[in-house]
Amino acid sequence: MSDRWVEAEFETIFREHYQRIVRVTRRVLQRDSEAEEVCAEVFLRLYRSGPGVASGGLVGGWLYRTATRASIDALRANRRHGVEEELECDAFLQSEGLAEDPLTRLLRQERIVEVREVLAKLKVEKAQLLLLRHSGLSYQEIAEAMQLGFNSVGTRLARAEAEFSALYERHQRRSSKTPQLQTAKEGQ
Amino acid sequence: MKHAEVNRGVLRGYLDGELDSGRLAAVEQHLKSCNVCSGELATLRHHVARVRDGLDQLPDLPDADNSATAWSAFQKKREDWMDSRQNKWTLWQKLSLAGGCVGVAVMVLVLTVAPVRAWAESLLAIFRVERFTVLEINPAALKNNGLQNNQLLNQAIGRVLSDEVTVTQSPQRPRLIADATTASKVAGFPVQLLPSETPSSLLLESGAGMNMKLDRDRIQSILDEAGRSDLRIPASVDGAIVGVRVPAGVMAFYGNCGDEASRMMGEAVTSQGTKNPSATKEHSIVVHVGGADKPVPNAGASANQVSQANTVRTGDKPGQEADATCVSLFELPSPIVSAPQEIDPAQIAQIALQFLGMSANDAASFTQTVDWTSTLVLPVVRGESKYEQVHVNGNEGALLRSANQRQSDHFSLMWVDNGIVFALNGTGDDTTAINLASQLE
Repeated sequence: MSDRWVEAEFETIFREHYQRIVRVTRRVLQRDSEAEEVCAEVFLRLYRSGPGVASGGLVGGWLYRTATRASIDALRANRRHGVEEELECDAFLQSEGLAEDPLTRLLRQERIVEVREVLAKLKVEKAQLLLLRHSGLSYQEIAEAMQLGFNSVGTRLARAEAEFSALYERHQRRSSKTPQLQTAKEGQ
Repeated sequence: MKHAEVNRGVLRGYLDGELDSGRLAAVEQHLKSCNVCSGELATLRHHVARVRDGLDQLPDLPDADNSATAWSAFQKKREDWMDSRQNKWTLWQKLSLAGGCVGVAVMVLVLTVAPVRAWAESLLAIFRVERFTVLEINPAALKNNGLQNNQLLNQAIGRVLSDEVTVTQSPQRPRLIADATTASKVAGFPVQLLPSETPSSLLLESGAGMNMKLDRDRIQSILDEAGRSDLRIPASVDGAIVGVRVPAGVMAFYGNCGDEASRMMGEAVTSQGTKNPSATKEHSIVVHVGGADKPVPNAGASANQVSQANTVRTGDKPGQEADATCVSLFELPSPIVSAPQEIDPAQIAQIALQFLGMSANDAASFTQTVDWTSTLVLPVVRGESKYEQVHVNGNEGALLRSANQRQSDHFSLMWVDNGIVFALNGTGDDTTAINLASQLE
C-alpha cells in the first residue's frame, strides 16, 4: 500500500465522513468554529498519517476515535484555561426548532455546561465510549474504533456510564442546592 | 446460562440488543430466576437513562451538508501545513548535517529536536549532558510511523506543551557580542575560542527555561494517533512536573560562513514573533565584526554600539553561500532537566526508541547500553549520515559527516568537556576536525 493518499480517494473520504465527525466535535465543544477547527485537524492528521493508518480497520473508526479524543482534549484545555461557556448561539437554538424564552434557554445552557463538565472529568477513554455509543455506533464499530475486544465493549461501556451517572447526579444535586435560575423560572 | 457468565458486560449488551439470539434467550431465561442479575440490570438501565438524558442535552448541528465548504477550507489548511513541513524538514536536514549549521543543530537538539525523543529524554531525574552517543535510525522504519508523522507529532506535542508549559525564561534572539571576555561575562561560563583567529561573527544565544506538567492520557493519545497504541506510557508519568533549563550559549563563526549568522538571527526573530518592529527579519541588524583574513578595525565594538549604529555591514553579499573556509563553533553549559524520581528514564526511552522504529528487543538492548541521566543521543538517519566515536582532549565525542558524496568532507564534531557542550562544524578530514577542537582555549 502506498504511504500517500490518492487525492480523489481522500476527498471522497472527507466528504463521506465530515458531517458525522463534525457533529461529534460540535457536541463536545461550545463554539462552531472550534468544533470545525478540531474536525479539520482530525482530517489533517488522517492525511498526514497516510492510508496505512486505518489498514487494520475502517477509516471511519479511526476518525471517530481521533475526533472524540481531540474534542475531549480541547474541552479539557478550555477548562484548564478558564474558558467559560457562553450561551449557545441563536442559530443553534433555531436549528433545534426551539422557540424558547431566555430563561428556559439559560437553564438549557446550564445543563449543557454540566454535561460537558462531567465529560471533561471522565478518563478520556470513558468519555470517548459514551460519545461513540451515543453517536449510534454498534459494539462492533466501537470495538474497531477504540481497538478493543468486542466482548469488552459492554463491560467498559457500563463502567463509563456508571461513572458518568454518578458525577452527573452529583452535579445536579449541587445545582439544586443553588437553584437561583430554577426558582426564578418557577416564579415566572 | 450460569450466573457467573451473566456479568455486567453481558447485561449491558443485552440492553443494547448486542447479543446473538442464543445468548439473548439464555440471559432472558436466567433473569427470570435471578434477582441479583435483575437488580443489576435495573441499575444499568438507570445509568443508561442518565447518560442519555445528559448527552441528549448536547447540541446537534443542522442537517444541511456543508462538507463542500469544509473541503475548501481543509485544502487551504493542508497547503499551510505543507508549507510548514517544508521548513521543518530543512531543520531536520540541518540536524543530519545536510544543512551544516552547528548552532542551529545544537539548539535544535536542545530545544526542538526530534519531538519524538524530546519528552522521553526529558523524563530524567536530573539530566545533564556529559557525553554523546549516536543512534542510527532505519529510514524504512521512519516511513512507517515515526518521523513520517513528524508533523502530526509536532502539532500534537505542541498542543500538549502549549497547554501544560510554563515558560520560566523566554528565549531571546541571538545578539552580537564583542569578544570572548565579554561573552564569558555575559554567558556566565569561560568561553573557549580558536586561538589566533578572529571570529567573523560572535553571537550570544540567550538561555531558556520552562516547566511542564505531563498528562499521561494526552501523551498516550499522541502515540495512539500515530498508530502506535501498542506502546503504553506508564502511569508514573501522569502529573509529573518536568523542568528544563537551557543556559545561555555562544556561537562563533570563522572564515567565510556566508550569511549564516544573519540567517540565524533572522530565523530566531521570525520564530519568536517579537513585537519590536526594529527586530523583524527585514530590520534586524546583522554585523560581522571581522573576518578571519581581514579583521575590521572596530571589531571590539560592543553589541550596543553596533546596534545603535543601525546599519547593516555584513561584508558579504546577501544570500552568499558558506565556503570551505567556514568553521562554526557552538558552546553552552549542559542543559538541565529535572523530573520526579519515580519516573524511570530507561523505560520511557525504550518506548521512544520503539516509536522511532526500533524493535522491542533492539530498544531494550540499546537502552541498557546508555546512561540516560547523562547521555544525549544523537539520532542519525542511516544512509544520510556517517558517524564515529572519537576523543577530544580525553573526552568522548561524536564525529558526524553527511553520506552525500558532495558534502562528505563537511564534519560536525560534538563533545562535552567539564560540563560544557561543544559542537564544531567545518570542512576537512577527521584529523583536522579533532585538531581544531583540541586547540580551543
